[in-house]
Amino acid sequence: MKKFAFFLGCNIPIRIPQYATALTAVCQKFAIELVDVPEFNCCGYPARNVDEKAYLLPSVRNLAIAEKHGLEILAICNCCFASLRKAARVMADSPGLRAEFNTLLAKENLHYSGEGKVHHFLAVLHQEVGIATIKTQLTKVYSDLKIALLYGCHLLRPRQITGFNDSFVPRIGEELLEVTGAASLDWRGKMECCGAALAGINDTLSQKLLTEKISGAQAAGADFITPVCAYCHLQFDTAQQHLAADDPQRTILPVLLYPQLLGLCLGIDPPRLGIEQNSTISPAQLQALSDQLQVPVEKPKRKQKKAAATP
Amino acid sequence: MVFKVLLGISVAVCVLGVLYRLACWFSQGLQPAGSATTTSQRVLAALGAIPAALFSSALFRMVRTLFVDLVFLKRTLDKSLLRWFAHSLIVVGFIALFLMHALDSQVTEAFFRDYQSTLNPYLFLRNLFGVMVLVGLGLATYRRLSLRSKRLRSSLSDWAALIFIGVIIFSGVLLEGAKIRSYTVYQEMVDDYAAFSVAEDELALEAFWVAENGLRSPNFDLPPAAELIAQGIEVNEGSCIECHASNRYAFASFSLAGLTSPFTALLGDAGAVAFFWYLHIVACLAFLAWLPFSKMFHILAAPVSLLIRGVKGDAPTATPANLLNRQMIGLSACTHCGACSLECSSGMFYEHFHNDFILPSEKVQYLKRFAAGKEKDLAVAKQMQQGLYICTSCDRCTTVCPSGINLRELFVHARYHLLAGGAPETTLLSHFSFPLALARQHATDHLLALKKVTELFRKSFHHLAELTSPLGIGNTGKDFPHTSFKGCYSCQRCSNICPVVRSYDNPVETLGMLPHQIMFSLGIGRVDLAMGAQMIWSCSTCYLCQEHCPNQVELCDIFYSLKNGAIAKIEAGA
Repeated sequence: MKKFAFFLGCNIPIRIPQYATALTAVCQKFAIELVDVPEFNCCGYPARNVDEKAYLLPSVRNLAIAEKHGLEILAICNCCFASLRKAARVMADSPGLRAEFNTLLAKENLHYSGEGKVHHFLAVLHQEVGIATIKTQLTKVYSDLKIALLYGCHLLRPRQITGFNDSFVPRIGEELLEVTGAASLDWRGKMECCGAALAGINDTLSQKLLTEKISGAQAAGADFITPVCAYCHLQFDTAQQHLAADDPQRTILPVLLYPQLLGLCLGIDPPRLGIEQNSTISPAQLQALSDQLQVPVEKPKRKQKKAAATP
Repeated sequence: MVFKVLLGISVAVCVLGVLYRLACWFSQGLQPAGSATTTSQRVLAALGAIPAALFSSALFRMVRTLFVDLVFLKRTLDKSLLRWFAHSLIVVGFIALFLMHALDSQVTEAFFRDYQSTLNPYLFLRNLFGVMVLVGLGLATYRRLSLRSKRLRSSLSDWAALIFIGVIIFSGVLLEGAKIRSYTVYQEMVDDYAAFSVAEDELALEAFWVAENGLRSPNFDLPPAAELIAQGIEVNEGSCIECHASNRYAFASFSLAGLTSPFTALLGDAGAVAFFWYLHIVACLAFLAWLPFSKMFHILAAPVSLLIRGVKGDAPTATPANLLNRQMIGLSACTHCGACSLECSSGMFYEHFHNDFILPSEKVQYLKRFAAGKEKDLAVAKQMQQGLYICTSCDRCTTVCPSGINLRELFVHARYHLLAGGAPETTLLSHFSFPLALARQHATDHLLALKKVTELFRKSFHHLAELTSPLGIGNTGKDFPHTSFKGCYSCQRCSNICPVVRSYDNPVETLGMLPHQIMFSLGIGRVDLAMGAQMIWSCSTCYLCQEHCPNQVELCDIFYSLKNGAIAKIEAGA
């Protein structure tokens, strides 16, 4: 059984607990243990506008804690992921700063050697588990589900830090969706910003960017939006509700998180996946989602045809 | 007589103190401007909430809270077994001593007719409870010292509380010890209770008490002879044993009695007994008088706070009046145990910014002063404002607080209370603002505070549109942490791909400068112009520009550095 130090950050435990429980349930199916580490603190991201060192130090402590536990980190939130990766990179590149931070950490008997590894859960599902293994565990697949996947900026960029996938044409999310039978739409805004980074600083602009994404996904005919980052999720699941409260004409674009979407196909109970905790999804939509799940059918005919066509 | 006067004074001070603290619950508070509520409104609101809680399903939750959180201290146990154990030892030991020993004529005698303080189990229990408290204090001290490195702060009042209780218990133990050794006390007892058939019985009894009960007698400089002691046992059985168990049962006092010998040498044996009696009584009464003015007031406030939490949870309080009431009850329920600061997700920000007020426990300590309107120092207010703002809104403090204080609500209100009247807060321009925007509380207050800080930025830097003289060449300098801007050849791909630039009909007017222009101004050494561009604060940090730049200019990272630099410059008072 592969183990990871589960990095939840500040938003997920209090605002999106269903993301963590759903992912834990999914990972169990693939013999991946997500170890809760209560000592972890903020990733530092909120301070990034204010001070670079204040931004890096918290993540370095997190890396040191993971090192103490002898575990590699698995993150959900893109901003946590990117902050941890950035800190790991800076620590590897600047021994001077590492020594400075280590002096601070020594007070708590912590030390970071500079060799921490940080993974995003999508990459773990895609590489550690693999599409083929996921396929063997599927009890049901979707017959007609159109998903607008939103990777989120800090998962893809800057590529030198995140090292996630091709930052221009990412495939990981697409393949993870396709294996469940869901269609990953090409939609306007797929690679862009949800506006979260501007919330509370420039709300008008933040809402404009969010609205662009909602209408982009709706125009492409999405049944659900699947944001990856915790911040994106809160934009779509909470800030979208505020927009709708101000303008009742709006149609809500419901949110379905990837572990929830995959979890249903793995036969995990919807309550364990916390789908009804997504504030934008209605019971009818959840029902419709469950109803379209079908036992996967192999398509031998096509394969034969292909095989026949090759020579 | 002296005792009664002292007791009267201390009870009076305690009662008046409690009344004062209760009056503060309904008269002080931190409220954002424009939401003034009067004391009478607040008292009525509080009274109104009580029947609503008593005659509803909340009653069950209250009863549950009473047992789980109050009696059993589950919230403490969940986080720290050591702390739970220490607190339980102190509370159980202290309350038991208070009822059984301090109130013996009122409580113990009412239940146990044959109560004698010199008989077992009372003699033994008094020591047991005393030792429990002392062990608890020892563990609490160990906790405070060992967790220092994990940002557990201890203030003078924390040590004062521990020392106060320690002195009460220890002086009691030594008082009993001094009495055990005292020949004067022994003689008084003999005069009162003993009846001797033959003259040598008197010496025999004394010999027995010297040998077995710790008495120090001038008649026995050397250990008494065995036959005499054997004779003394019989006398003891005849005269003493019915009302006085062996002093060895008072195990703590008996074994620590030796500590009183310097006092005996100085004051005589009766003098030493009197000294420890006064020390014990004065410590107890002073503690009683000090209680309402110290963190020990939590004995009253924490149960109220926990019961409110049991009913209302951590949800926002409905009425402004009760919000302030709950705030004040919360502030007075804080024991400065530091559980919140140990959990605080912003701990590393504290290590970096060296601002004590980033730690929740320290915020609460000082917010009491702000709520009372006592804090006038602008520098402290500014520091508090920053401390309140550098918070990730993870709510761990609220979840963990053993006194059930709704810290989240307290901090959010305090934040906007201070921002309304305070200096512009630069950290407002950070992602700490995200959860606040999401919660949609104080939206107007937030906008006003934001306006203040953006105005300050506007005034502090040069702006391209306002330049009247030709743009001169400056020096970006070695301090600027990037060089990649030198690779910019103004292809404008960054500005063309930017979702923010695209959002405006006339982006230059709104944003001051576009991304490629900012790179250009850095190229000609005008960092000040770059820092003054609204563009850097409107950047959504999506990194599209940086990713798409054909010449690897790290635009988004440069924007971060410009933002950091601009804030540093403003904070330095430039």
